[in-house]
Amino acid sequence: MLIKLEDIRRYYTVGTEVVHALNGVSFEVSKGEWVAIIGQSGSGKSTLMNVIGCLDTPTAGRYWLNGHDVSGMSDNELADIRNREIGFIFQTFQLLPRETALGNVELPLIYRGLRAKERRERARHALDQVGLSNRVTHRPNELSGGQRQRVAIARALVTEPSLLLADEPTGNLDSATGLEIIGLFEQLHRQGHTICLVTHEPTLAARCPRAIRISDGLIVKDGPGPQVALENRPERARAAAT
Amino acid sequence: MSLRVDLLEGGRIALRSLGVNRLRTLLTLTAVGIGVATLLAIVGIIQGLNGAFARQLASLGTATLNISRRPYVVTGDWWRYRNRKQLTLAQMQVLAQQSQLATAVVPEVNEDGRELTALDQSVSAVDLIGTLADFQKIWGYEVPAGRFLTDADSDAERQVMVLGADVAEQLFPGRSPLGQSVRLDNRPYRVIGVLAKKGQILGQSMDLVALIPFNTFLAIYGKRDFQIDVAVDDPQLLDRLEDEVTGIMRRVRSVSPGAPDDFSVNRTEQLADTYRQLTGALYGVAVGVGLITLLVGGIGIMNIMLVSVRERTREIGIRRALGARRSTIVVQFLLEASLVSAVGGAIGTALGLGAAKVVSLVTSLAAAVQPLTVLGGILFAAAVGLIFGIWPAARAAQLDPVEALRYE
Repeated sequence: MLIKLEDIRRYYTVGTEVVHALNGVSFEVSKGEWVAIIGQSGSGKSTLMNVIGCLDTPTAGRYWLNGHDVSGMSDNELADIRNREIGFIFQTFQLLPRETALGNVELPLIYRGLRAKERRERARHALDQVGLSNRVTHRPNELSGGQRQRVAIARALVTEPSLLLADEPTGNLDSATGLEIIGLFEQLHRQGHTICLVTHEPTLAARCPRAIRISDGLIVKDGPGPQVALENRPERARAAAT
Repeated sequence: MSLRVDLLEGGRIALRSLGVNRLRTLLTLTAVGIGVATLLAIVGIIQGLNGAFARQLASLGTATLNISRRPYVVTGDWWRYRNRKQLTLAQMQVLAQQSQLATAVVPEVNEDGRELTALDQSVSAVDLIGTLADFQKIWGYEVPAGRFLTDADSDAERQVMVLGADVAEQLFPGRSPLGQSVRLDNRPYRVIGVLAKKGQILGQSMDLVALIPFNTFLAIYGKRDFQIDVAVDDPQLLDRLEDEVTGIMRRVRSVSPGAPDDFSVNRTEQLADTYRQLTGALYGVAVGVGLITLLVGGIGIMNIMLVSVRERTREIGIRRALGARRSTIVVQFLLEASLVSAVGGAIGTALGLGAAKVVSLVTSLAAAVQPLTVLGGILFAAAVGLIFGIWPAARAAQLDPVEALRYE
């Protein structure tokens, strides 16, 4: 098992009110799987993503990532786990505006303590993988949205993480560019990467071999992508109508 | 992650961020620069003053004691000293005979504020001293023109005079005073020598003096209240000389055992103590002012770093998500704060050196800044940045990565 979550709970205190973002979530993901986590805003999927990404620690429950028991780790250990095990891909790309594409991709390798020469080689290779070898010295504002997301994907890949964690990766892209990015994910999946994709888009989740639907901090459905994603269509249509 | 990597990467980021907000950075480092400049100028002036004073004290002679009815620096009961018995020549002769350590014993008698005239010129407020030949040796006077007083001058009560440099200049501008006649209290004196310039001590000119033979002085002024100057070869022997002299003087003046001395044994070091007392508080205040200026600069740094942390919240979130530890973020912002501050410090050092230079050109003070002070100024500024960067850096490191990534 690459990921194993056991009765994960996450409660926040907002003022005097306790918000139950996750109410006991348990599931497993094997190496090489491509799983969509789908749910509406407020369902708890973002909290779940933060827990899986080791950006947030659960209030209760246990979480193993690639054999590490993450639930009891210190802040420094979590930082190292994020660096080694996880490749983040965000909706808003989260690139450093003052760095070039190469500089952005190098960043996680700096925190791993690699020397400049090796960093540069690996970053070039990663940019090559996402088809951006001709944009190495461009800064984010000189790149299109799709290119920026490719830089972000290269940054996620460069550390050779055990898990790619994507949060609405097509949310800020037009549909054609979005499809390109999804194509890239499919390619990465075929190469054997394990991918967790968090989205509210049923059509996107439907392209994943497996999908997990979250609602009110609980898993309500776990199964093949098309089945889980498209089941909720009428509800979505109603929500859209109101 | 090693500290080495933190420092390298942090330094790179810090250098880059300096260039991004040029005006803002410039204003901030100007504030630090002014602080450092103020402090350096003050320290420079103080060092200059101290150096000048130390040189002047050394010129007074460091292996000399002065025995007098009153101490050099009178504090409190001045009348107590006034009622003491005068020293006598007989006492001095006993001292000269019995002292093993003394290499010279010479009497000195003073009359303040005399007026000297020569032809059409006159000088007032001259310190008139009556003494013997050894006075020159004891106080290290040099006589570049003419000769000093001799004991024979005194024995014969000759009306001859040695002039201090300032007196000679004012009475005989552009002329040699040697062999000329000078009038003092309606008596003519023949100038036999001129002393080398000694400068000022505690604001008093040491060159507004005129010396005449001891016995001449006594014969004319009838004054008996004199002091005795005693010299020793080695300044290290000064303590032993003081013990010996005190013992002899107590015996010869019949001071009963247990009673306090009825005379004072003075050293030039006492002047140094007085100097330190007078100027210490002043220096403290001046350095305090400089530190406050630097404090203002430091608060500027803190302000700009807080703004910088806020502006770069998302960047911090990204770095944390990609594996930067809290300590890495702390180092990054501390380096940035120290760097801004150190650059300010370097500018301030240049300004401060300039100010010290101007002071030494405009006034007679040789404001000297030692090389170590320059390095100290820059390092001190960096330390100020470091200290005032701690809080902003800690705030940056405490940011929750999830919140930081969401920050707009």
